[in-house]
This record gives sequence, C-alpha cells and structure tokens, in this order.
Amino acid sequence: MQMRKVYNWQLGRNAAYLYPQHRPKKQWAMIFDLNKCISCQTCSVACKTTWTSGKGQEYMFWNNVETKPYGGYPMGWDRGILAKLGFQEWIGDKYAGKTLFEAAEKDEKILQYLAEDDDWAHPNIGEDEVAATVNQGDWITMPHRIWMYYLPRTCAHCTYPACLSACPRKAIYKREEDGIVLIDQSRCRGYRECVRACPYKKSMFNVETRISEKCIGCYPKVEQGDMPQCVTNCIGKIRLAGFVSTPEQSRKDNPIDYLVHERKLALPLYPQFGTEPNTYYIPPIHAPLPYLEQMFGPGAGQAIAAYKAIKDDQTLKGLLVLFGSMEKRLDSFKVDADHAYGYDEKGNEVVNVPLTEPMYIREYYDKKIHVYRHNTP
Amino acid sequence: MIRKTLFLFFGIALVAASASAGDKKFVEFSSVRVTVDVGKVGLNDTVWRTAAPYNQPLQRQFLVDPKPLDVGVKEIQVQSVHDGKYIAFRLVWKDLTKNDDPKIMNFSDGVALQFPVKKDPLPEYFMGEPGKPVHILHWKAWRSADLKKGFQTVKTAYPNMTVDIYQFDYPVKGTGTEKTQAEKDIFIPGKAAGNPLSVPHKEIVEELFAEGSGTLKSTNIENTSGDAEWNKGEWIMVFRRPLTVGDHGSVQFKPGEKMPVAFAVWEGGRKESAGRKSVSPAWAEVKVEP
Repeated sequence: MQMRKVYNWQLGRNAAYLYPQHRPKKQWAMIFDLNKCISCQTCSVACKTTWTSGKGQEYMFWNNVETKPYGGYPMGWDRGILAKLGFQEWIGDKYAGKTLFEAAEKDEKILQYLAEDDDWAHPNIGEDEVAATVNQGDWITMPHRIWMYYLPRTCAHCTYPACLSACPRKAIYKREEDGIVLIDQSRCRGYRECVRACPYKKSMFNVETRISEKCIGCYPKVEQGDMPQCVTNCIGKIRLAGFVSTPEQSRKDNPIDYLVHERKLALPLYPQFGTEPNTYYIPPIHAPLPYLEQMFGPGAGQAIAAYKAIKDDQTLKGLLVLFGSMEKRLDSFKVDADHAYGYDEKGNEVVNVPLTEPMYIREYYDKKIHVYRHNTP
Repeated sequence: MIRKTLFLFFGIALVAASASAGDKKFVEFSSVRVTVDVGKVGLNDTVWRTAAPYNQPLQRQFLVDPKPLDVGVKEIQVQSVHDGKYIAFRLVWKDLTKNDDPKIMNFSDGVALQFPVKKDPLPEYFMGEPGKPVHILHWKAWRSADLKKGFQTVKTAYPNMTVDIYQFDYPVKGTGTEKTQAEKDIFIPGKAAGNPLSVPHKEIVEELFAEGSGTLKSTNIENTSGDAEWNKGEWIMVFRRPLTVGDHGSVQFKPGEKMPVAFAVWEGGRKESAGRKSVSPAWAEVKVEP
C-alpha cells in the first residue's frame, strides 16, 4: 500500500497515513479527568437515550465507561491490538515504534484486531475488577499496588482516522468545520472495514440496517455552540469539550489547548496507534506509571506531577472548576484571585465560578418555618 | 494519486488480456437457446442439462487494498440458457458454511455477475472505470433468507435479547404509538436515510453500477430475479433477466452476439466482503446463441 507521510504531533514525528496531510479548520476535542470518574455511566445513558435508542442499536455504546486494566468494550479491544502491535518504544517524546498504519500486514491498510460477536455482548465486563488480590495486612501506597480506574471513551474523532482510511468507498468523512468524523448513512454498504480498522472499536455494525454507525460527536449540539451530551450530563464534572489546536497554534486562553499543549496535563489515548486521537485524558495519579505510559504515552509521569501540584496552581485550579459548569463550549477562559471565567467565541462571558465554594452556616433551628437543620460541611 | 497509479498498473496488466471486445481473446461459453420459459427457470430444471457447464477459475482480488491473502472459493461452475426473451445464468460453487444470517460480525455469502454497459470500448474488467460503467448483478444469501423468512431483524439475529422500550413503541396508546412508521424509523438511521441495504426488496438480486473500485452505486432497478439454495456444502444460484430492458444504462443481450462477463464470490464464513473476495482474473464472454 502506498502511504503518505503526515505530521503527527502526538508522536513528535511524521507518520504513515493513507491520505495526504489535511487538518480541518477546527478540531473537535474532549478532555476527561480520570481522577474524578466514578463510572456512574450517566454519560453512557445520556448518549444512548439521545442517539442509540433504535432497533439495531441495542448493543451500541458510542460512549462507554470501562474499568481498567481488565474491563473493555468490546471485550479486550485494547489488549487485542496492543498484542498484535507488539513491544514498541518511545525515545523521549518521540515515538520510535511503528504505528498501526506502519505495522500493517501484507496487502492491508492498517494493522487490525477484530472483535467478535461475543466481545460485544458484555458492555461493562470487568467492572470494578482490581489489578491484584488484596492480601491480609495490605496498606495503601502511592501508586496503589492494588489498583483500578475508570476509562470513559467516545470516538476520538481522530485527525488521521483509521475508519476513514479503511472505507473502500469513501463513505466516511471528516468535517472541515469541526473535525467530526461521520459515516454517511446513505453511502455505507456495511462492509465493516471501518469496524475492523478502528483500533478504539468505535465503529459499530447495525444488524437492523446492515450498515455501520459511530459516535457523531453530538454535531447538532456542537453546531449550536454547546458541548456534547456525555459532557453536559456528566455528574462528576470530569469532562470538557472544545476545539484543540496544533501545538504551534496553541492559544494559552483556550481551555483545551492550555491543558493539552501548554501544561501537557491531558494526554491522548494510545497515541502510538498513529491516528492522532482527540480524546485527551488527565491520568489517574494512583495507577502504576508503566501502565499509564502505555496508554497515554511518555508524558504520563509529568502530567501526574502537575496534577498533584494543582493546589498551588491558580490557573489550573480555576480551569478544573470550569469542568462541568456550563452547557456552552468555551472558546477562552481566565482565572483571577478567586474566580474562573469562561467566554464564548464572541467573547461573551458564559460562566463564572468561584474557586472556593462559599461557606454558608445556617442556624440550627429555623424559626421561620420551624425546622431543625444540619450543616454538612 | 494512488488510484491513478493503480489504474496505470492494472491498465498495463490488462492491455494484453483486454484490448477491445472485438479482439476475441476471452474464454467463451454459450448461452444455449432453449424453448422453455427461461423467465421462470428453476435451480434444477432439466433444461440445465442442455447447457454445457463452464468452469471459471477464481483467484483472490489482487488489485486494491485490502486484498485477501487467500479466498475460500477458487472455482465456479457457470451455465447459461435463453429463450429469446429471457436469459438465465446458473452458478454452482463449493462453500462448506452457509452464511445467510446477519449478525454484528457475520458476513453474507454472495456472488456477482458483472457486464459492461457498453462493449466498445470495453471497460476494465475490475469494477469498470470512469466514463465506462459496468452493470453488476449482486446476490447475497442474506437477501434470500429475508425473502424466505421475512426481513431479518436484530430480533431474529439475537432472539434472546431483551429491550425495555423503543421510541414511540410503548405499550400505552397515545404516547407516540400513533406515529407513522416513517416517523418511528427516524430512530433507525439506515432506514431514515433510505439506504437500500436497510429495507426489504422484492428480488434477491441487487442491481448496481460502478465506474471503478469504490464507486459502486446501488439502484432501485429490479429487473433480475433469482433463486438460491445451499445444500451439502454447495451453493446453487440462478439469475434470470430479460435479454433487453427499457433502462438504457443496463446491460442488453442480443441473440447471436457475445457479452463480456466477470465473476466475484464472497464466502461469508471467512468474513469476506467488499474487496475481500474471489474474482475471475479477466473478462470471460458469454455467446448468446442466435
């Protein structure tokens, strides 16, 4: 297969892709703070009731939350492709290994791991499974010896989508205005080349319609300046959606750029796959570093150090309280001594949030309505 | 660029084999003229004894990535008869597994016949080329099962599946139950988009046109009927269509003339679909007896 060279900033080098380099005007992106996810699945349900309540979509979770290291939907999606890719190396911030495009088998476009029917049958298998057994007398150390964490996932609306390059009839396209990757429902012929190729397994086959579907990035909301359903419904306030720039064009006042590029606190999911995914994760501070480096690249250690230091970092502290505080997408943000502010693309203030919640102490007995009250700090 | 290179590549590869239809360098078999009504000919009718079988060797699709490293079906037996009004093709090939039920990772058995829309200049035998379309008759085992058992749904694929409710499909009257089927289908994207794969059809054969790989276009034309049966590791499939049809873009047969034809087979059990298929290595020709 004749491949092109495209610049992949997540790998710090040029990498193989089927089509020439082309970036959309804006790139959809989502950030997840894994230290805060409690796997309540409100995001999964918000997505499901909005987009996948129809016949043939029963098993589809365009958004899912799985427990790492053992959980996964479809089962074993990441272990499967990692095992096929084999041991690869980073040298500093530069990826020295092969991407999935570069490791493609003979006569294939991309290295693939196929999930079978049964693998799709258990949306939350491995839930709350920990990585080791608890021994008598165990105590907690950092990182935890016995650990697990939750990994919420959507389509990564990759800059170099595997699904798009795999489709033999160009039924998948990446929107110029926001980088959202969509399957044209009238053009798809259900070959499942995208289902095979997507390493994140976010293209799904609809048995009722016999064609494939995927997460649409809530584009009708994005077009209105809103954030996707999985973001605005997140009760743990772990998510933020917006547009990410390339590192050279990073804006310090863009909340996504600030976390991804300026502070490198939010890291791409399995960057080594080579698709330049646009779902970024703040790694959990309690999980072992080698595992996190495998999942998020070599920046995991530095991200954890930065996260641990947030209490002394006014800007980061402010930005993190903006997570989950508004329905509107923020174009820019500002943090002052005691508030964080978010602005839309016209510069209008969308939200302002105090860094420290004010404390209200109420009288134990409310004389007005004759009730006793507790104050729960 | 890739496409151009590819065209150049198989352009060169095919020069020797193709040139134009008049050059008569193709393997040839006859469509035998018979007196029975070919428009109604069955899978195992005695009329087929009059048509000599032609064994077409098949090989892996080798021009466009992804290419299968190997394929399940290496040969297909072809017969053809016509009665001056209708032409029929009978195809027999070995396939140990019958794959006619849609599931998430199930793939359908299938076979396709390909004809040039215009014989001169003859399009490349592999899916045609820009400006030189090919007419493809595509049978999928899924469609045969649909016709026999009713359109297979997610419920027939996973009968033990439980679902609380679907939108506007509540057990209480007046809670959206009055919505039309089209309104309910908004929640079934392929149907809402009018994708031909998502709706039932009268015939088991889909008619498509292509002008190069990746350009396949389904049509609503249903001039071709068919029957198919899987028995003891073997598919038998019959295509039947009028020699001439009103649609000028469709293939037209004339008694006394030859028509180039190419073949493709998919073995669902091997997850063959799209370019992962067996193909005939060049055009063959069917000589429609006068």
